[in-house]
Amino acid sequence: MSRDRRRLPRDLVTRVGIALSAVFVVVAAGADVIAPHDPFAFVAEPFEAPSGAHLFGTDDLGRDIFSGVVHGARTSLVVGLGVAIASLLIGVTIGATAGFFGGWVDDLLMRFTELVQVLPRFFLALTVVALWGPNLANLVAVLALTSWELTARVTRAGVLSVRERDYVRAATALGVSRLAALRRHVVPNAAAPAIALATLQVGSAILVEAGLSFLGLGDPDAISWGYLLDNAQAFVRRAWWMAVFPGVAIALAVLGVNLLGDGFVERTDGRSATQFTGGRR
Amino acid sequence: MRRTTRLARLTSLFLAAAMIASACASDDDAADPGNPQEITDPTPANGSADGEATDDGEAEPDQDPESDEAPEPEQESESSGGTLVIALADDPGHFNPGITTGFNVHAVTGSIFNGLVELDDNANPLPDLATSWEVNADSTVYAFTLAEDVRWHDGTRFTSGDVKFTFENVLLQFHSRTKSGLENILESITTPDDATVVFTFSQPYAALLQRLNSTEAPILPRHIYEGVDDVQTAPQNLTPVGTGPFVFESYDVDDQVTLVGNDDYFKDGLPLLDRVVFRIIPDANTQLLALEEGEVDYMWRVPGAEVERLSTSDAITLYQANSGPGGGFCVPSLSFNLDREVFADVRVRQAIAHAIDQQQLLDQAIFGQGRIATGPISSQMAFAYTDDVTRYPRDLDLANELLDEAGLAGDSRPTLTLLLFPNFVKYGEIIRENLAEAGIDVDLQPLERSAFLPRVFGERDFDMNVISYCNNTDPSIGVSRMYVSDNIGDIPFSNAAGYVNADIDDLFNQAASTADVAQRSELYRQIQQLLVDELPYWWLLETQFVIGASSLVEGLQPHSGHVAETAQFVDG
Amino acid sequence: MTRYAFRRILQAVPLILGASVATWILIHVAPGDPIVALAGEDGNAEYYKRMRERFGLDEPLHEQLWIYLGDLAQGDLGFSFRQNRPATDVILGQIPATLLLVIPALALAVVIGVVLGAVAASHRGSMTDGLLRAVTLLGHSMPVFWLAQLLLLLFAVRFDWFPVQGRYDIRANHSGLRGVLDQAHHMVLPVTALAAVYLPPIMRVTRAAMAEALEAPYIVAARARGQSRRRALFRHALPNATLPVVTVIGSQLGFMIAGAVLVETVFAWPGMGRLLLGAMLNRDYALITATLLLVAIAVILVNLVTDLLYAALDPRVRHEP
Repeated sequence: MSRDRRRLPRDLVTRVGIALSAVFVVVAAGADVIAPHDPFAFVAEPFEAPSGAHLFGTDDLGRDIFSGVVHGARTSLVVGLGVAIASLLIGVTIGATAGFFGGWVDDLLMRFTELVQVLPRFFLALTVVALWGPNLANLVAVLALTSWELTARVTRAGVLSVRERDYVRAATALGVSRLAALRRHVVPNAAAPAIALATLQVGSAILVEAGLSFLGLGDPDAISWGYLLDNAQAFVRRAWWMAVFPGVAIALAVLGVNLLGDGFVERTDGRSATQFTGGRR
Repeated sequence: MRRTTRLARLTSLFLAAAMIASACASDDDAADPGNPQEITDPTPANGSADGEATDDGEAEPDQDPESDEAPEPEQESESSGGTLVIALADDPGHFNPGITTGFNVHAVTGSIFNGLVELDDNANPLPDLATSWEVNADSTVYAFTLAEDVRWHDGTRFTSGDVKFTFENVLLQFHSRTKSGLENILESITTPDDATVVFTFSQPYAALLQRLNSTEAPILPRHIYEGVDDVQTAPQNLTPVGTGPFVFESYDVDDQVTLVGNDDYFKDGLPLLDRVVFRIIPDANTQLLALEEGEVDYMWRVPGAEVERLSTSDAITLYQANSGPGGGFCVPSLSFNLDREVFADVRVRQAIAHAIDQQQLLDQAIFGQGRIATGPISSQMAFAYTDDVTRYPRDLDLANELLDEAGLAGDSRPTLTLLLFPNFVKYGEIIRENLAEAGIDVDLQPLERSAFLPRVFGERDFDMNVISYCNNTDPSIGVSRMYVSDNIGDIPFSNAAGYVNADIDDLFNQAASTADVAQRSELYRQIQQLLVDELPYWWLLETQFVIGASSLVEGLQPHSGHVAETAQFVDG
Repeated sequence: MTRYAFRRILQAVPLILGASVATWILIHVAPGDPIVALAGEDGNAEYYKRMRERFGLDEPLHEQLWIYLGDLAQGDLGFSFRQNRPATDVILGQIPATLLLVIPALALAVVIGVVLGAVAASHRGSMTDGLLRAVTLLGHSMPVFWLAQLLLLLFAVRFDWFPVQGRYDIRANHSGLRGVLDQAHHMVLPVTALAAVYLPPIMRVTRAAMAEALEAPYIVAARARGQSRRRALFRHALPNATLPVVTVIGSQLGFMIAGAVLVETVFAWPGMGRLLLGAMLNRDYALITATLLLVAIAVILVNLVTDLLYAALDPRVRHEP
């Protein structure tokens, strides 16, 4: 039993998360440089196994999968960040407004938040993409519009706890408009946990995109990991590499981002993750 | 100690709940064949209304669909027995083949219903419900003699009245291909006696026999559908009664459809199987896995990538067919929206034809399961096909040259939208890369049917699209619709290019209204040569169905609706 | 308590209404035309006009919405054109199959998740803890359908231990106990895939709740007095985790059903997943709306139950606004 007592550096897990996320971001940003080929171009014989020339092999049209995975990182990052940032903005705005102004504004916004929360995100995304067309813009839009409610709640809670603090009251007493006080004092303090939540959105968005592509609703003009996995499905016995590498890429990227988010959450609040993933208040 | 108890209790509680849940659900299903909404009343309804002699009222005891405890009802027939399991990609929804041309419905109903004739894999007619026929000199009158002693699955006698009823009350109203093809030229259907039916046309019509199989004109029971308010939503559509080799037994939505052998089938000695079960498995690769594992015996559309591997397998036999339930002789084609200025110059269209690598499409999009197309008519329709047309082989230099000549040099190379169904995305990807080499950017837009059809045929908002136009069993059925000037508009799979040419209209009209094969052949030859020069479309490939079946089954008819009519398991 | 309960239940009603209106509007403003999917492809203009009238598609939108809400109030979720039956019947027919995957997977995930969470909590900060967290988080990070495919390839194809698809063996057509066992055999792989993906949030929440509880002064004191670790863990800390676990299940419910859809596709399991996909691609409006609505209602109900449970156990909650 005592050997389990060997203490882990407190944030080893977070460090792993940072490392993975960093790799993800670097690969995504440097896709054009890192990828040896245009992921859409037919550069070799179809179904070549992984080799020196093609690290991850080629697909059914002779396209280099390594280049596909690298460019896919960029697409996934864009989708993930797009959703995270958009939902962060929406959530913080709504949460801060509700918390700061209170009263009927708060009530109305919170009712609205509840409504958005119960709508099933994946199914809505599926519906929108199936009916409006499988392009990434539609996907990012629908995900952003349905992912902000937790952020809003957290921001509101943060705002509520800070609103009554002395320095804010002092500021308003001195004549600073409520809105300015909101912006300058309240939001920065309340936003930290919201940012932490946002990082968790990145992973979730990437998984939804992959799932939709798997169902055949991916964007064919963009190379994304989900698209690669969908393409790989038909050839899974003939070319295992088509499915394995993109799948591993997704798992590692999402893992990295989740670990990072977890680390943020624990750090900004000290307390456990229960508050955010377990509680609804 | 306490911890174990607690944990153990918790675990056993959950497991018990799970087992109970699964037991309850499975009990429901095991008993499902008796689901009340699916039982056909075996005693037939009233007699026929127009006075013909009826001797219905005898429900054959061992055809009773209610006797359905899971294994076989006693069959004293000479069938060798066994259950054929067929994989189906999508739930049919209903079983009325007279109101739809959908593949999945026909895949199932092909075994339940018959047409007047059956077609072989080259679209030549063979007897089915009609044993013989006579056509008058100018092909305006077709007289069919019907088989004797044919019974519907509920015991009622089949008569010519059923044929007349089916055409007038169902097909000509709801079956899109039959309606659009025949309604203007069919003058009358008469039934001089129970075993004869006569079709009279207002102008010579050559292709009637190709429209009379179980896909194009399945015969439905008048005594069941007569007086029904709305054929399309009639509950009878869920409990089909036909004349075919297999009788409907049960339907579990999105799961499976079960048919049992028809002991009273009018073709002696058939069928040989006890049951046919259609199992719904949406993904082609899962179907293939199931086939290889022996869980399924037959599947349409083996994924091209696997064909090579399977062709050396002993356990699985591959069949190729030009058509299947719901249509065939398909030619995926690239349409040019001729309303768009960019396509006004024929050199642009020629350039695109030269840029596209048809061999690559053949190899990588369909894995060699087909041929390169040369024109609008499938090479498998021997009487009408000619290869004596202008060719557009892959030639990038020529493509670039033509584009330059047409005034689209360098930067003014266009960006073109390409719309297609999601299952043609591979074609789109290859075309996109091919055209990129000619400097043309392609914006690929996959859209599912409900979004695609209004945009292409309603709004005509596209530059190019890929559609698999199926010739079906005669050029007058599936080909002319793409080229005649009165078929442009909000009708799915009509003249997408918006092509207008009075000569072509004329030629097609002539070819449809003469029965002389040599003459038709010549007319279609002229049509092909003219169309290939004008290039309103670029015909990419001819596709085939590749069917995979267990080697233990013989006698399958993959091209026909009656897939399992003569099938049996060899090796006991 | 009763007043609080009443209030919460009352609050659920406008939510349900809001959800139904929102989903209905979403689907009906989508571009594209369902008439072709409904009425077949080779018809002509006059034919489609007739079909439109039949299906009520030519009424103005707000009229259609009004009719829909009226029907809804009577429990009528609309008519599925593709299946030719009321949407309610279609869905009720398919739900058992999906529940057959979701419920065992959930049960498995809860049992294993709680146990692992307990272990991690009692060794928090150590290698075991870190490892457990990372591994379970990995399960949560991979696409569930990818995991399902891997399991399929490995255990069904390579090792042939499990069947490849479906719910039961068609040919053998077992009934009774053998039928149950046959179904269970078919359930193993899909349930495993789902459970692996549901597990991590439950584990994390358990760990967090128990870790918190273990730090409480009275526990520390009890341990100092010599009480065994196990006793502390399971007697005092574990109950702390109950509510958070229930809560996290509620908040993850939509995600869990989505996972079931994907897994059903991989294994050709005849449940809600395929139904929904088919409805999407065929513009079966009634079925799409009905499914979205039902999932939303399920989430609302689970949240409601959770809230009431919280209120029953924690008096402070009842008096919050």
